[in-house]
Amino acid sequence: MKLEIQKGSRSKILAIIVVGLMAVFVVRLFYLQIIKHDEYVALANSEQVKRLTIPAKRGLIYAMDGTRPVELVLNETVYTLFADPKIIKDKSKITDTIHRIAGGNVRPNIDVLLDKKETRYQILATKLSRAQAELIKKEKLAGIGFQEVSQRVYPEGGLAAQTLGFVNAEGIGQYGVESKLDARLKGEDGMLQSVTDVSNVPLTIGDRNVHDPAKNGDNVVLTIDRNIQAYTEKALATGLQQTGAQKGSVIVMNPENGRVMAMANLPTYKPAEFNKVQDADAFNNAVITSPYEPGSDIKTLTVAMGLDKGVIEPNSTFVNTDSIKVEDRTIGNATKGQTGTITMQTALNYSLNTGMVTIAQRLGDGKSINANARNTMYEYFHDRFGFGMKTGIELAGEQPGTIIAPTRQEGNAVRYSNMAFGQGMDLTMAQVSAAFCSIINGGTYFKPTVLAGTMSVDRKTFKEDTVQPVRSAVISPSSSAKARAMVYEARTKFYAGKDKPGYEIGGKTGTSQTIVNGKYVDNQTDGTYLGYGGDDRPRYVIMVQVSGKNMNLEGGKHALPIFTDISNWMIDYLKLQPKG
Amino acid sequence: MQQGWRSTRTAASRRVKGVAQSAVASVRRHRPDYQIALYMGLLMLIGLVVMYAIGPQRANFLNTSEGTDFYTSTYFFIKQTVSLSLAIAFFVFMSMVPYKIIDKYAAKVLIVAFAACALLVFMGNILNVEWLTLCTKGACRWFVVPGLGTIQPAEFLKFGILLFTAGFLGVRSQQGLINDVQKTLIPIGIVTALAMFFVILMQKDMGTGIALVSILATMLVVSGMRWRLLSTIFVGLIVAGLLLIVVAPHRMDRVTTFFNGDNTSVDEKGGYHITHAKIAIGTGGVLGVGIGNSVQASGYLPESINDSVFAIMGETFGFLGLVGVLALFTALLLRLLKVTDHLVDMKLKLLVAGVFGWLGSHTILNVAAMIGVFPLTGITLPLLSFGGTSMIFIGGALGLAFQLSRYTAFGGKLEGHDKENSSSRRGVGRSRYSSRRSTPRT
Repeated sequence: MKLEIQKGSRSKILAIIVVGLMAVFVVRLFYLQIIKHDEYVALANSEQVKRLTIPAKRGLIYAMDGTRPVELVLNETVYTLFADPKIIKDKSKITDTIHRIAGGNVRPNIDVLLDKKETRYQILATKLSRAQAELIKKEKLAGIGFQEVSQRVYPEGGLAAQTLGFVNAEGIGQYGVESKLDARLKGEDGMLQSVTDVSNVPLTIGDRNVHDPAKNGDNVVLTIDRNIQAYTEKALATGLQQTGAQKGSVIVMNPENGRVMAMANLPTYKPAEFNKVQDADAFNNAVITSPYEPGSDIKTLTVAMGLDKGVIEPNSTFVNTDSIKVEDRTIGNATKGQTGTITMQTALNYSLNTGMVTIAQRLGDGKSINANARNTMYEYFHDRFGFGMKTGIELAGEQPGTIIAPTRQEGNAVRYSNMAFGQGMDLTMAQVSAAFCSIINGGTYFKPTVLAGTMSVDRKTFKEDTVQPVRSAVISPSSSAKARAMVYEARTKFYAGKDKPGYEIGGKTGTSQTIVNGKYVDNQTDGTYLGYGGDDRPRYVIMVQVSGKNMNLEGGKHALPIFTDISNWMIDYLKLQPKG
Repeated sequence: MQQGWRSTRTAASRRVKGVAQSAVASVRRHRPDYQIALYMGLLMLIGLVVMYAIGPQRANFLNTSEGTDFYTSTYFFIKQTVSLSLAIAFFVFMSMVPYKIIDKYAAKVLIVAFAACALLVFMGNILNVEWLTLCTKGACRWFVVPGLGTIQPAEFLKFGILLFTAGFLGVRSQQGLINDVQKTLIPIGIVTALAMFFVILMQKDMGTGIALVSILATMLVVSGMRWRLLSTIFVGLIVAGLLLIVVAPHRMDRVTTFFNGDNTSVDEKGGYHITHAKIAIGTGGVLGVGIGNSVQASGYLPESINDSVFAIMGETFGFLGLVGVLALFTALLLRLLKVTDHLVDMKLKLLVAGVFGWLGSHTILNVAAMIGVFPLTGITLPLLSFGGTSMIFIGGALGLAFQLSRYTAFGGKLEGHDKENSSSRRGVGRSRYSSRRSTPRT
């Protein structure tokens, strides 16, 4: 542009100043808009682009009601009320309104919180119902907002508490299925990225908006039958009340597929009130988390092993002197007097340790539990019955237990003689019950499972998981039939009158010594009972354990009644037909 | 250069008494400089487009933060259209009312302006008439006309000072007394001091104060006052300015913020405004985000429609757009300087110089603050910012300059008066203007 201003005039000076300044401005604009462009875009994004998490809905948990899934764990939405103290206008109106509508949920001294003008986020009230939130929203108070929070609700109260576990305040599953299947239940949070105005209202400007929907968690259906579970819990509570025992656990399994129909523990808790629990032991599912010396229940497995290896038959005889020497140790029987030449069935019936040690010896050279015998026992107990390994049940905190291999120095003949009657190894009830299922069902080992399948998103279609046996021919079908008959005999010999007539109910007592501070003590024993029931085939396996501090609890006296109670109820519940 | 200045001034002061006195009469009224109107109109139009684009966001933001639904999406566009119409009306009025009449009332206009300022102090600061005055933190800057809007008497005062000082200095210049401290400088000083009392002390408006001083300073420079005297005045003004900054904490804050440099931490207290202005400008890039896509206007950048409109334009139109806007301002300012330079009568020269000072100081102070090269002064960007009073008065001032552009003398016209100047001007303007001029010349 031609200036047309006289050279040297004062206007010329002013013109030079103006043009000079404008040139400086253009240079500065070049710096800001072109050189530093990316930096300012990043800065703008950091305050304009908001990422909102779209929380995934946590999957529901169902139990079975017969063949139909029913909801055991649901979600409900509650609201957290927060304020931005910097932009609130009418403080007294806010406090009055929320106290009036949601008095009980309001945090103390919100007056103080609202005065914290330097902060942008203060929680004023929690766990508001939708109705309360709607009422407060209607008041159109400036500077307050709501956050949806999902919490678990339990229509069945404390049912199957240890199996379920709970969800903590951070939304993370703890214990049980909630913890083990946390990833599946949780789903994946979605994300909403949006350019917003200064009050965080999303704008439709530009191409920076992203909508990535949430993937909700799976709805999980458990194998737990709510009716069996409820009855089992009741029976356990009644049993403990009668015996005065403090702790007890029961597992009810389907021997035909490994599905856990019930799993009960006392003491227990209510998942909705998990934060009120004093002793965290109540959260533990002892059936899977507490390995113990199983004791005489194992005799059924020892007998089955002997049958399968062909070293005994139910009516095979041996000479019982109520004591037997293994290397430098002498092993005695708890029940004395069945001396002389007796059958293996008798040994099982009276739970004679000498009989079991005899079987172990016969696995070797007939006189000692040699390496061959020990290898065979280890193969059955560890490789076939799965002792010393986690079963893989879908519950958090499962323990593998301990079984000593014969290759180790401690895995000597004395140890293996003890193992034959259930001592010298630590097992969980889940391991023992699953192994027991395999010896009475024809020899197929199923993983104990609590997972029946999934429920569709619309909560209408139940998709059942197929059950695959883990190992077949754990023992031969004929050995299984014989073992089953022996277990049946072991129960009916003494307790036939307790069972409903016309059904096949078998079982074995167990009374295990406990180890306190590394030593066996005499004044504390755990009582267990392991048995099955059915019509023409075994339909359920029930294992009961009761224990108490400084209490001598016995399988036959304290655990068996609980078994019998549940067993008789199961016959009705499963509508089993009596044999003719 | 230095030598040239001296000779110009001496020549000019020699001629003032005799010839230039009757310059208006001696130079024939000719076609005005339409470029002034063109650039003004273009800038106004750009401003209106921006108001149209960001008005809804501004309305939404105010509705949200004030909890009302008073502001409609076209509220700011309509008000700006009204302001522009009034400004154009005033422009036309000032371009048509003969200058002599305006000159006659100059002193009265100034007195009325001062009276308005005094009334504002009386009603706002003393009586606290809240429904007629608008005060923030003890600074009363606006009268409220219930139902219509607000009026800022400081803008009127700029206008009054412009008219009065031009006339006064013009007369002193003709009398050859322009360098006379007692007869020229002291009266101007008194008027300035009084204006500063109202604007800076009572209204706490440093930006308007600087603009007023700039208007006066431009006129003093153009009046041909001796450089030594001017230097003394400038040093005095700078010292006074620094004092005013030091005594007022809010001004000190702004300066401190400014000297923190390119600190781009968004949450920094005090730096928020300028940081967000830079974010807006910086995100614009080369071509800008496009009309209606400004995000900073949605409440991030304070005063997005008034003082910060330049930054919003930077975001919207980008580097090229802002260079275009600055080019328009530069063109307009240079046209005003050209008119000043080619006017013969000192009064008229000073009037247009004042208009230049007014437009120039506002533009430069606003833009410099927005791009972070000068502290924030809270001053509007003329012709573009949303605002009634300032828009109307800048329109009037430009109208006056437009009228006076009819009386410029070019080429042969001045040759008889000033040989030295004509020789330098001949190459630049003469041939073109003499050929283009519609009015026949002698």
